[in-house]
Amino acid sequence: MDWIRILLSRCAALFRERELDDDLDEELRTHIEFAAEENRERGMSEGEAKIAAMRSFGGITQTRENYRMQRGLSFFEVLLVDLRIIVRQLLKSPGFAMAAVFTVALGVGANAAIFGLFHAVLLQSLPVTNPEQIYRVGASGNCCTWNGSMGDWGIYSYSLYTYLRDHTPEFEEMAAFSTINSSLSVRQVERTDAPRALNGEFVSGNYFEMFGLGTSEGRLFHSADDRPGAAPVVVMSDRAWREYYAANPSIVGSTIMVNGLPFTLAGIAPRGFFGDRLTNTPPELWVPLNQEPLLHPLDSLLHLSNTHWLYAMGRAGAGFQPAAAQAHLTTEVQQWLRGQADLSQNDRANISREQVRLSPGGAGISGLRDYYQKALYLLAAIAAVVLLIACANLANLLLVRETARRHQTMVQMALGAPRNRVLRAVLTESILLAVAGGIAGLGLAYFANHAILVLAFGNTKNLPLTGAPTLPVIGFAFAISLITGILFGIIPSWLSSRSDPSDALRGTHRAIHGGASFAQKSLIVFQTTLSLVLLTLGGLLTHSLSTLESQPLGFESNNRVIVGFDPQDAGYKPEQLSTLYQDIQSRMKQVPGVVSVGISSYAPQDSCCWNSGVDFQDAQANSSSSKMTSWLRVSPDYFQTMGVPLLQGRAIGAQDTPTSSRVAVVDEAFAHKFFPGRDPIGQHFGMGGIAGHAEDYEIVGMVENTRYVNVTSSQNPMFFLPMTQSVHFQVPSYNRTDINSLYAGRIELRVANSHEDLEPLVRSALASISPNLTVLSMISLKDQVALTLNQPRLITQLTTCFSVLALILASLGLYGVTAYSIVRRTEEIGIRMALGARRSGVISMVLAGALRLTILGLAFGLPLSLLGGRLIASQLYKTNPYSLAILLGAGLLLLLSALLAGLIPARKASSVDPMRALRSE
Amino acid sequence: MPDKKVDILQGTLDLMVLKTLESMGPLHGYRIARRIEQVSADTLSMNQGTLYPALLRLQQRGWIKPAWGVTETGRRAKFYSLTRAGRKQVEEQTANWERIAATMARFLAPDNTPSR
Repeated sequence: MDWIRILLSRCAALFRERELDDDLDEELRTHIEFAAEENRERGMSEGEAKIAAMRSFGGITQTRENYRMQRGLSFFEVLLVDLRIIVRQLLKSPGFAMAAVFTVALGVGANAAIFGLFHAVLLQSLPVTNPEQIYRVGASGNCCTWNGSMGDWGIYSYSLYTYLRDHTPEFEEMAAFSTINSSLSVRQVERTDAPRALNGEFVSGNYFEMFGLGTSEGRLFHSADDRPGAAPVVVMSDRAWREYYAANPSIVGSTIMVNGLPFTLAGIAPRGFFGDRLTNTPPELWVPLNQEPLLHPLDSLLHLSNTHWLYAMGRAGAGFQPAAAQAHLTTEVQQWLRGQADLSQNDRANISREQVRLSPGGAGISGLRDYYQKALYLLAAIAAVVLLIACANLANLLLVRETARRHQTMVQMALGAPRNRVLRAVLTESILLAVAGGIAGLGLAYFANHAILVLAFGNTKNLPLTGAPTLPVIGFAFAISLITGILFGIIPSWLSSRSDPSDALRGTHRAIHGGASFAQKSLIVFQTTLSLVLLTLGGLLTHSLSTLESQPLGFESNNRVIVGFDPQDAGYKPEQLSTLYQDIQSRMKQVPGVVSVGISSYAPQDSCCWNSGVDFQDAQANSSSSKMTSWLRVSPDYFQTMGVPLLQGRAIGAQDTPTSSRVAVVDEAFAHKFFPGRDPIGQHFGMGGIAGHAEDYEIVGMVENTRYVNVTSSQNPMFFLPMTQSVHFQVPSYNRTDINSLYAGRIELRVANSHEDLEPLVRSALASISPNLTVLSMISLKDQVALTLNQPRLITQLTTCFSVLALILASLGLYGVTAYSIVRRTEEIGIRMALGARRSGVISMVLAGALRLTILGLAFGLPLSLLGGRLIASQLYKTNPYSLAILLGAGLLLLLSALLAGLIPARKASSVDPMRALRSE
Repeated sequence: MPDKKVDILQGTLDLMVLKTLESMGPLHGYRIARRIEQVSADTLSMNQGTLYPALLRLQQRGWIKPAWGVTETGRRAKFYSLTRAGRKQVEEQTANWERIAATMARFLAPDNTPSR
């Protein structure tokens, strides 16, 4: 109860300050008068009586201060007074203030930027209602399509999804959506403009209800729209509506042509909703699952009950128990599997091992997260190291300032300033500097963030992320700057409060004692140590990246443009393809700037290839250990267009028609693996695992190995088939694959060195063949290759950037401490010079001091750098994590900058005028 | 001057003030200070100024209350008197102190060898 009363009376006092002050003053005055009066009665003179009274009272000012402290919420009053004084003092030494704020800004900025990315990619929820109620049914990273059992279930067939939806009442709503998006060609009915490729996602009818979304224009579709035979509707993303249709309200509710079929555009999804996962290709058109057979007539997945291709997410109902729901889902999946007739023997035996795990779904499906997680942790660690260096710098600056101010502090204490007041003032100053630095850092982070996003995702146009700092990022930056301020303000403030007031009166502050303190030197060594680690990591990653970039690819990436298209979506039947490809090749060749044209199923480094086992006619080749290969179909002129060297035999040419004998071209790895030391030309092989097809293809040529997947990963031996030659298989699934593979996906253009903007020309060339043929994507092969190195490039560039930051900070720190110690040692240097020391001697003395600290830091940094290299070894490509050359380079760079940081103050020291230095004492 | 002076223990000043007011009735600051010095026979080292924050503290706890009045010599001064809570506090704290003092005395007795 006491403290409440005290608090109340203190609060009351706040509002009557003046009055209470006067009251106290009067009381103290009467006290002194009473005392003086009594002294006079004892026979003292007027003056003596007054002085004696004051002496026995003690410090009047101090009493008043203590009294006030006891009286009011003095914390804030004192804070305001302190702040006023601190700001005044900082304005007097702007160099110090700016250095401190800049230091913190760099540290906080680096961290806030990384945290921003970290938060956006790893932590942030989808913009939906109560995201914490949403669970993903499944936790594994399966993608795309999957046949048969999964063990740890993550994706589902439509049949399994509906079964689970109808048997799990613990979910208020369970929705499903396709794992990969489909490119849909969209055209307005009455317009004649070229169709536009929109990114489409097949979703269940309750998709929007499950996410709890409202609508901005028109209506969202419901379960009733997702039934067989329901009128076809689609919903468009707000971004696509604004970008492509200028937010035209009249198209909402109208009919649009999707892949040449009429759909009603029911409505526009709420602004900011970017789908169920974070990606730079967010869906632009949502289509009910039951329309999938209509849009993919040849390879529809909807009714294949054992082909899994849908993610599922559910909204938890009241009283939801994740563990119980998980167990229930597992039971239901097993139950469903038991009811499946066409399950393989093996899968049937393992039904009891099949399981479903729930994972939080509020942040969406985590593809991007999985991809960037490791990189982000590494970057966060590196940013933290930069912050540590910045903190060391701040501590050093504050120490320097504290020593410079010691005299003042001692005088304050001699005059009666309470110790904790002094401590608080210094601490307040460091917090103020840190918070100011934090605000500046946020500003830096804003710009850095955008640059990082571009670096991380390449094309950020469609990415639902902005660099703008969100509330958590601001909170994070504020918290770390506050912690920095408190932690690194405590040391100097503690040193301050230990000053002995009597020193001030003795004038000890002028004593000649050697330069920088132990604490300052340790901080410099610490900074150097950490800088070496960062520079080494930066060096290792840079080496790794340049190794990656200089890997032989097997094709020419300069002056090549890859155009994505989809003849199946444009409505072509398999028998029409041969003519179509000829048309495309001849039409494209007429585009100005195009030198040669190829067509293929896939282009290098862009979602490569079909994978199949093969069988050989030749017994020796047929007995090879693994017969897994990757293959794709290519047109005449393909190898020549891509600059892939032909090593033997002939390439696929115009003579390879649907009716001519079936041929294949293999790569060197294929020949080497299956026909070591033998001539592959003339050999026969075919798709594996099916009797009677081992002689389907005759090898007519061999080309150089080409990096199809990406630069780093190993790939299967490869073969290439003509675009138009098909085999008739007895097994439906083989037939389906074969027919699907006849549809090309890419057009390769070799272009002249300088050419105009090709896109409109290519677009109209395709449209002139058929208005339904759309350019789905267009990218130079060089960019495509660079894209696969996005993540290592992001890590490398940021690490390098951070290590340069570290170098700058450490050099600034060293410069500051050296310069400061020169000032402190002016007299000593003066005496040395008076006694005959030469200028060069003084310079080398100062430099030696600076270099000694650096070398000590390097010594500590060496084992840490080796450890750092070990930790990132998995991120390195063909780079020795303990590379001596890189360590040496980093060390030399640090020594060089230390030399520079020492040289400026050293030159100043050598210009000390001995006479003036001595006279100053 | 006595050659040994003792620093005031934290918290003891409060009790001294309370006890003084209990035995002397309402007093102003200077009188309280003088009274404490006299009773302690000048063995305490105390700046009279430290009394005032203590007086405020006691007021905030509601143990004493101030009132402006006039001294016998006709001067205006602030008089402090015990409240009822203050009286209770004197009793409690006195008992407390006696216990502590007795315990300390036993520890500090010259032949404090345990008999067991």
